[in-house]
Amino acid sequence: MSLPWPEHLDDIVEEFKECFDSMERYELLFEYARKNPRPLPEEEWTEGNQILGCQSRAHVVCSLNEDGLFILRSGADAQIVQGLMSITAIAVNGQKPDVVSKLTPAYVEEMGLKAALSPNRANGFLNMFNRVIKEAEILSES
Amino acid sequence: MLDIEAIRSDFPILGRVLPNGKKLVYFDNAATSQKPQCVIDAMSNFYENYNSNAHRANHTLADEASSALENARNKISGFFGAEPENMIYTSGATEAINLVSYGWAKNNLNSGDVIVITEMEHHADIVPWQELSKEKGVEVRYVPINNDTFELDMQAFQIALEGAKLVCVTHTSNVLGVRNPVEEIIKMAKNNGCKVLIDCAQGAPHEKINFEKLGADFLAISAHKMAGPTGIGCLLTSKERIQEMGPFMTGGSMIETVTTDGSTFKDGHAMFETGTPRIAEAIGWGAAVEWLEQFKMEDIHNHVHQIASYAGSEMKKIPGIKIFGDPTNKDSSGAVSFLHETIQSQDLALLLDQGGYAVRTGHHCAQPLMDALGVPSTNRASFWIYNTKEEVEGFIDHLKYICERFA
Repeated sequence: MSLPWPEHLDDIVEEFKECFDSMERYELLFEYARKNPRPLPEEEWTEGNQILGCQSRAHVVCSLNEDGLFILRSGADAQIVQGLMSITAIAVNGQKPDVVSKLTPAYVEEMGLKAALSPNRANGFLNMFNRVIKEAEILSES
Repeated sequence: MLDIEAIRSDFPILGRVLPNGKKLVYFDNAATSQKPQCVIDAMSNFYENYNSNAHRANHTLADEASSALENARNKISGFFGAEPENMIYTSGATEAINLVSYGWAKNNLNSGDVIVITEMEHHADIVPWQELSKEKGVEVRYVPINNDTFELDMQAFQIALEGAKLVCVTHTSNVLGVRNPVEEIIKMAKNNGCKVLIDCAQGAPHEKINFEKLGADFLAISAHKMAGPTGIGCLLTSKERIQEMGPFMTGGSMIETVTTDGSTFKDGHAMFETGTPRIAEAIGWGAAVEWLEQFKMEDIHNHVHQIASYAGSEMKKIPGIKIFGDPTNKDSSGAVSFLHETIQSQDLALLLDQGGYAVRTGHHCAQPLMDALGVPSTNRASFWIYNTKEEVEGFIDHLKYICERFA
């Protein structure tokens, strides 16, 4: 049975599952925040690409490269959100937009970070994730 | 002297172990307080044994529900030194303030009149006045805080009073824990011919508030920060102010007669209590007041002050931590807002949660204050009657651990 996330994310999911406790998981997330493959620098943060939420600033720009494949660039001041978006970027970058639009955040739960999926309206990561999916839907239709 | 262990045993939630296996340590009391068993039981008892609408029927349950609602009003108003007929049930302090805006200010202020508020207000005491300003052309003036002491600039307040008609000030800041000199503020405002609203949402859990002694025109109070349930509060006012007020929300309960040609309204607090009352919530709040009456509010304040003072002093020693406000001030409500210089506030709150510590993060519904402080958000630990020094010690250890690992 295929997993609900791209295969190339498996190693990262395993890495988190092997963490001793939640503090180690969050430490690892901070590392991934520093390794964001496509960071959106602060000078490109605008009102238009801002994700509205109560507690942190988060910005997302989604586009297609010259091969029509999805590219996610993201920036957040909260490192936990930034780390999750880095991993999401690893999951989605270079994929077809219609494939991206079907992604669920199941990998986040599997990584042991269920709290990141809280429906709390102030949830930076979930708001960003939903925006990415919406952008992927729009890009796949265009 | 408070018996904290006995007090803690009144609160079933304090024994909770979180899904991550950590024992709950609740430091978010400025957001809402926990509820003693007697409050939970009072509300359950209503629903189990005499649930009925109030003031609407002549059967036994309706009598019992109506009596319970009014007995709670008597208890609560008495706790705050007010007359029951001058207590208007609302959904909380926010609605109480909106009631003053729509019910009193809309009918008594005109274009060019001045309302004085402060930049440390909760949004509930800012946005209604901004909306009134758009509708009626009143001027809203903001009194700044002193960025070194975090206290209200009283000289600026005196200046702002020039020509003012209404002054609206928070009793205690939900962010800074600063207890404003409300007695002086009321005196200065009255000398200037102003009416005064005090937002007591944060003050009521920490000191004995007496409507008559304070001498303000309006007090806005919420139940849920003082051991009562969410969804209920009140506006305390005077007969004179009520007579100057027009209806806010209209519909059932508040009418005398309704015909197809128009309606007439009830007098007094009844004009402002529209629709089915929050009966269970009122009963719960009455039970909360009864529970609180076994203590001196001064003892609660002193207990919180000791803990918050200790927390603030220890937190200041942690490299990278900055405190906003002065929790060692004897009048502080014990809300300790803080930031780390490199760990973002949302991250810090989540990492504290991993240790079982519930704190708040964000702008705390006080964005103008955040702007004045020059920060987008803060973390906030806020203490109450059931918190202990041991809990703070654990919190400090965990905070130090986070700062060492994640800074």
